Amino acid sequence: MATNVSAHEHHYHPPGLQHQFEDMGQQQESASIGMWMFLAQEIMFFGGLFTAYLVFRAKFPMAFAAGSNHLDIYWGTGNTVVLIVSSLTMALAVHYAQLGKRMAQVLCIILTMILGATFLGVKAVEYTAKYNEGIVPVTGLNRRTPAGEAQAPVETAGEHKTGATEHAYHNPKGEFQWTDASLAKKAEDAGYLTSAEKAGYYANGVLDANKFRDKVRIFYWIYFAMTGLHALHMIVGLGLMAWLLWKAWLGTYTADYYSPVEMSGLYWHFVDIVWIFLFPLLYLLGRHFGGGH
Amino acid sequence: MIMQQNSWIPLFPEQASSFASEVDYLYFFILAVTLFFGIGCAVVIFFFAVKYREKEKFGRGADIHGSMVLEVTWTIIPFVISMIIFIFGAVVFYNLYRPPADTMDIYVVGKQWMWKFQHGTGQREINELHVPAGRRIKLVMTTEDVIHDVYIPAFRTKADVVPGRYSTLWFEATKPGKYHLYCAEYCGLNHSGMRGSVIVMPQNEFDNWLSGNTSGQTPVEAGRDLFENKLGCASCHAGGANQRGAKLEGLFGTDVKLVGGQTVKATDEYIRNSIINPGAQVVEGYQPIMPTFKGQVTEEQLVSLVAYIKSLGGNGSANMTSTAAPTAPAATGSPTTGGTTPANTAANRQGSNPNAPKNQPEPANSNR
Amino acid sequence: MQNIDAINSEIIERPAVNYLNNGYSLKSWLLTRDHKRIAMLYLASVSFFFMLGGIFAGLIRLELLTPQSDLLESASYNKVFTAHGVIMVFLFLIPAIPATLGNFLIPLMIGAKDLAFPRINLLSWYLYMSGAAVAAYALLQGGVDTGWTFYAPYSTTFSNGYVVATGLGAFIIGFSSILTGLNFIVTVHTMRAPGMTWFRLPLFVWAHYATSLIMILGTPVVAITILLLALERLAKVGIFDPAIGGDPILFQHLFWFYSHPAVYIMILPSMGVISELIANFSRKRIFGYEFVAFSSIAIAVIGFIVWGHHLFVSGQSIYAGLVFSFLTMVVAIPSAVKTFNWTATLYKGSISWDTPMLYALGFLGLFLVGGLTGLFLGTAGLDIHLSDTYFIVAHFHYIMVGGTVMGYLGGIHFWWSKMTGREYSEFWGKVSAMVVFIGFNLLFFPQFILGYMGMPRRYASYPEELQVLNIFSTAGASVLGVGFIMPVFYLVHSLFFGKKAADNPWLLPGLEWRTASPPITENFESTPIVTWEAYEFGEESGLHTEEARRTTLAPTA
Repeated sequence: MATNVSAHEHHYHPPGLQHQFEDMGQQQESASIGMWMFLAQEIMFFGGLFTAYLVFRAKFPMAFAAGSNHLDIYWGTGNTVVLIVSSLTMALAVHYAQLGKRMAQVLCIILTMILGATFLGVKAVEYTAKYNEGIVPVTGLNRRTPAGEAQAPVETAGEHKTGATEHAYHNPKGEFQWTDASLAKKAEDAGYLTSAEKAGYYANGVLDANKFRDKVRIFYWIYFAMTGLHALHMIVGLGLMAWLLWKAWLGTYTADYYSPVEMSGLYWHFVDIVWIFLFPLLYLLGRHFGGGH
Repeated sequence: MIMQQNSWIPLFPEQASSFASEVDYLYFFILAVTLFFGIGCAVVIFFFAVKYREKEKFGRGADIHGSMVLEVTWTIIPFVISMIIFIFGAVVFYNLYRPPADTMDIYVVGKQWMWKFQHGTGQREINELHVPAGRRIKLVMTTEDVIHDVYIPAFRTKADVVPGRYSTLWFEATKPGKYHLYCAEYCGLNHSGMRGSVIVMPQNEFDNWLSGNTSGQTPVEAGRDLFENKLGCASCHAGGANQRGAKLEGLFGTDVKLVGGQTVKATDEYIRNSIINPGAQVVEGYQPIMPTFKGQVTEEQLVSLVAYIKSLGGNGSANMTSTAAPTAPAATGSPTTGGTTPANTAANRQGSNPNAPKNQPEPANSNR
Repeated sequence: MQNIDAINSEIIERPAVNYLNNGYSLKSWLLTRDHKRIAMLYLASVSFFFMLGGIFAGLIRLELLTPQSDLLESASYNKVFTAHGVIMVFLFLIPAIPATLGNFLIPLMIGAKDLAFPRINLLSWYLYMSGAAVAAYALLQGGVDTGWTFYAPYSTTFSNGYVVATGLGAFIIGFSSILTGLNFIVTVHTMRAPGMTWFRLPLFVWAHYATSLIMILGTPVVAITILLLALERLAKVGIFDPAIGGDPILFQHLFWFYSHPAVYIMILPSMGVISELIANFSRKRIFGYEFVAFSSIAIAVIGFIVWGHHLFVSGQSIYAGLVFSFLTMVVAIPSAVKTFNWTATLYKGSISWDTPMLYALGFLGLFLVGGLTGLFLGTAGLDIHLSDTYFIVAHFHYIMVGGTVMGYLGGIHFWWSKMTGREYSEFWGKVSAMVVFIGFNLLFFPQFILGYMGMPRRYASYPEELQVLNIFSTAGASVLGVGFIMPVFYLVHSLFFGKKAADNPWLLPGLEWRTASPPITENFESTPIVTWEAYEFGEESGLHTEEARRTTLAPTA
């Protein structure tokens, strides 16, 4: 026969314990498994994009190298450092939450938010540069420069100087602009263009800048899809941080109850780790082909 | 008079190709296995359900937890049987999708919503395909728009036709008659109208049909016409020792050395690629000067050019039906008129030029 | 044996407040965090979309009554079968059992007060409804004609339909599914009552655990694929466009990587329901508990690596085809093991032929046909002839309708008294179960023959000699339609006029039967402690005491 434990025996109801749980341990464990499951689905979600990246990079390595070389490695590296430091401050926030130190917690969360915002700011600078240069892969989402007002590109810090003249274009419809096929030329001269690549780049028997451009466009499309999705996760993370900051300021989190801080931390680290994969795949691969600084 | 039906309810399609019976054996084999297990299981379930129907309300079933021996048995036996089915099926699959070497090639272009066929000997047909019985036939297929699928139930075979590449399908028809040809991959508005028939004839009748219907150019002739006159390929690719373009005589089926040291086999696919993407695989000893013909030649013209280049000799060209009698020049001119015929008209008389322009609205290709 | 009639004459006092009558306002439903109420919200919406999809199915069958495309033009026909597919797959089959029965029963079965994340549970229902609204918008604007598979390049370049809106709907519904799966996994891990060990879990819970794994790991992939498809259509970036270096077959791979496991999202929960029905109505332990439990996990895992059998004729390499054919044969084994175990469970049972059991027996019959015809299709050499024909259509309807819908209806009948506290008419229940079984076979069996005859699917018109079989099929559709409508009437009738149900009308050991019908908001008066194995009908179950019989059998005032 089933025996029963009376639900009314425990009179002590810890703060933050939700009604469906028996005790804090169960709640903590649920939140933890839930977050890991959520991150597992996030991995599969990004996984689809990584698959697309792998398929097309294997098919058009030179176009990907050319696109990658044109990304700004200084901003990219800087952002990587920013994110790694933010992971540290996040871990410290969890640490101080566990110790129940309110001010240290609040400080770490603020630092994390500043670093996260810095990352997004740098991303915005990079995206703006792409907009000005005309290398956003969607027609109409680039700076429109009407015919007759052809202009030099807006210089942004750390921007490539090598192709300054090639950017003197007019772009009335805001189309994707890419004229530099030098890397493919180089690869052609060295004889390591694959036949699949040649089929993709050649027209009229010679390297065709427009066909090469279409493949670089695929790179930039994947770049924007991946970093965009990542930035979206950062924005969500900042929202979480703002909420945590408010709660931490109110002194909600103690040595007994800190799991929201811990879960937000897991999420924050996950978003960092995605960037740790994105940075080499997008910014570094292909540097050795010599198009870099 | 499509498909002579003897029974009121059709139960079984005709067998009209060399591997129809092979596929049917496989079918009946699996049917027998599944009927045995299916009926066996159903009978046992029904028997138990009746025999062990409750004697009293809220009675109790026997206290049985399971049996390792039984579990292992009914894991291993189905596994072994399914492996037998798999191997049988794998053999059939391999046979169906591996064309033999000595085939007669027929070129197929799918287009919303019609099939265009081009025989090695000159016939062009739309939605109707004449083939001789007892001959191995390979369809070399591509499409101008979306994915289609050639499906001939009486031959028990089908294959998707994918844009941007050639796919193949082979069969050997055994029984003269008229059989259904379907598009089996959903392709838009008039998908169910994209069907036609395959007409299998005895070899002599087929020959008669061929000789009586030669108003069109053969692909080889059409290809030569394009090669020498319309596209001017001959200015580089024919001219003897000092020609600027690669030598094409005897090319087909051989290994070609490329700039950069690679070697490729000169297949249909290679020749097609070399026309639309000449710079991709440049033959050793030549400059990459050939312009692309992408957008300037239709799929059908490509097919003709490939056929012509094949006819110039080489290892793999023996299968081209070069027996075709020289035919009269095409009365209707270019085979590349832009119009298309409505997919379902019965107007495609044998031998009429199927590409005569008609007022067929283009398929809706909105890029919304 | 006690005199049951004597017990029945007693009136048991029960809590006056249960989860249904503790609030009648719209707000108390729309903002509820009670898994039982959310399950009822899902039940109503999922059943509504089942009806809607059924209407489209009826239109398809009516059109196919004649060989010509006369009732519907091809353009309308294409939109109708797409609507049927999209609604049935995304709005009915995937959420059908997990979001309704699973949501309602998992906490009850494991002795928890609720799911681990009640608010996320409510969010998933809102996501479902938002996705449905977006899809309905696309439908009302003019529909989409790509088929539910959205194959590129037709969907990206050539179709005039509302592909992006429909895709967005599927995308949103996908996240609803992910959240449901996440909730189930966490709940099963952490919320089990004391004594409810993993191997005491009802098999329904195991099946849902396996399903949730697929939901979490598969759904995000199709979400990103739909996103790629939409961006391809809007921005023309060339991922799937062969003209600028893309690959339409890549879409098929990514799509089926989810959509084949999705088939198991649809069938596994139903298998869980059937395990419950067979064991409980045979009144004995399930035969080979561990094998039935682990076969669910095996199906979920192997199910992830068989997607290529959808591409046998699409031009993937012969060797890839052979590997996928082999793996498909392997994934058939766990299903066979389940069927054998169910059959063996009947042996020496004490089997009652109540309505839910009739559905379960119907399931076994139909699933046998559906599963065994899967062997035909997994056999690469035969699939060349059969793929994209009505043989496929018949096969997957035997699994989806014969499997999932039979499990859905069987489960709803089984737990109806628990969910609503009312009894439906047993007579009409039995009639509807038999009408559904007969109508279904009449509808879909002829389609196997049509398929072998070579009738391609998605055809608005077809050769005349195939008409007789199509007439049979349409006749079957009418019978099946009647069979599906009957429960709507007698179940809704029972809500208002049905007899009040006992807490445990069949005297069953599961935890969900050891609380009131309908349960209180917190599910149990106090946390239960489990001391018996799953489907234990012996002394250990505590069912044989006078007290247990009285508290579980007597109806309330």
